[in-house]
Amino acid sequence: MDTPINHSDYEQLAAGYVLGALEPDDEHVFQQHLGGCPQCEASVRELEEVVGELAYAAPPADPPATLWASIRREVRPERRRTQPRPRRGVAPLLARLAAAAAIVAVAALSVWNLNLRDQNASYRNQVAALEQAARLLNEPNTSRIALQGSATGAQATVVASSPQDRGVLIVENLPPLQRGRVYELWGIPERGRGQPQKALVFIPLRRQGVQTHEFEVPIQPGTVFAITEEPGPVGSDAPTTKPILAGEPQTV
Amino acid sequence: MRGKAYRGLEDGQLVQLVAEKDDGALEALYERYGKVAYSLARRILTDELLAQDVVQEVFLSLWRNARRFDAGRGTVATYLLSMTHHRAVDVVRREENLRRRRTSDEVLEFKADPAPGVEAEAEAAERRAEVRAALGQLPPAQREALALAYFGGYTQREVASLVGVPLGTVKTRMAAGMRKLKEALQEAGREEQQPWTRQ
Repeated sequence: MDTPINHSDYEQLAAGYVLGALEPDDEHVFQQHLGGCPQCEASVRELEEVVGELAYAAPPADPPATLWASIRREVRPERRRTQPRPRRGVAPLLARLAAAAAIVAVAALSVWNLNLRDQNASYRNQVAALEQAARLLNEPNTSRIALQGSATGAQATVVASSPQDRGVLIVENLPPLQRGRVYELWGIPERGRGQPQKALVFIPLRRQGVQTHEFEVPIQPGTVFAITEEPGPVGSDAPTTKPILAGEPQTV
Repeated sequence: MRGKAYRGLEDGQLVQLVAEKDDGALEALYERYGKVAYSLARRILTDELLAQDVVQEVFLSLWRNARRFDAGRGTVATYLLSMTHHRAVDVVRREENLRRRRTSDEVLEFKADPAPGVEAEAEAAERRAEVRAALGQLPPAQREALALAYFGGYTQREVASLVGVPLGTVKTRMAAGMRKLKEALQEAGREEQQPWTRQ
């Protein structure tokens, strides 16, 4: 659409937005506006409720009993696995290297497995990112940063090369996002006190699996990495939400 | 805690238990919303297996992210059902052939409910009646635009092309229709508060 000239244009877009019916350019315009407009945010929240309630207009259909059974099958093992994690930070060098290698190996296997099924560009990018991660791990002055935070089950590791100002993000089980939101990776210099630098914008996988992304960002020895949720599709120039995962470097 | 004990709990309390990895609480939420979520996904996708995938994904998402659930941003019902809608629409767009099989008349069809039966679904049946009454109050052109987007997964431009009106008209119809629905449903909600659909 043409650039909206007054606020009622945005109000009108809110309905299409919650229905997921906007054209990409309208969606982009609305998302850009939404982050800074409490009125439209409130309107979206109210209309999301209508979207939820409209579900009751669908003709009722009983789900098969196997549906709950398969959900339960997925959640039961997780319930048993919820134990406190051991403290990290004093692991010997070899153990950390082994852990990094294991992550890369698991990621490589899963990407290889996916590649057997579908040779599309996104998987080729994943393989390129994995190769890059392996290359960086083989070089001096490479840090491996485990990102930690509040998102249950989410795991993320950054392999970062300070001399090259580039790295690879390996990420798994990030919470799914609402439509139009993205995750953004930041490099924050001076142990998190400096100005955050945009490293990467991405959306999580729909299915379970490891995602890998290459990025370029200025990296000093004290650069902290953090992931925040931001308005899509291009993310923000500075973080607008609290990080869901963050971590400081430890040289491997 | 087992079985019936969960039934007396509100949605918000159940989500707190789900955050503590209590799968009984997740099952209680599934009993409340699994059927309506599945019905919606099936309506949009017209495919039972894809609909099951979507519902499974939605409940697993709640299981994994219950700790981050923010009641200030909406109810659990809204979270589960609006996410079901988003996911199902994403899938229907990916599976274009599903949509080609359906005419806009099929999308728009609102069948009368079968007899609600003795199931523990009286609340859901009432909710259904309210939502359908609210839809019934809309001018037909607004209802048509909303139904094509909501159940058909069509974008505003596609709706404009299907209906044969300018894009701007579709935007106006959807905005007006959603506003009226919101008012009608709020009115219905005020008349009859249901303990577990409102936190």
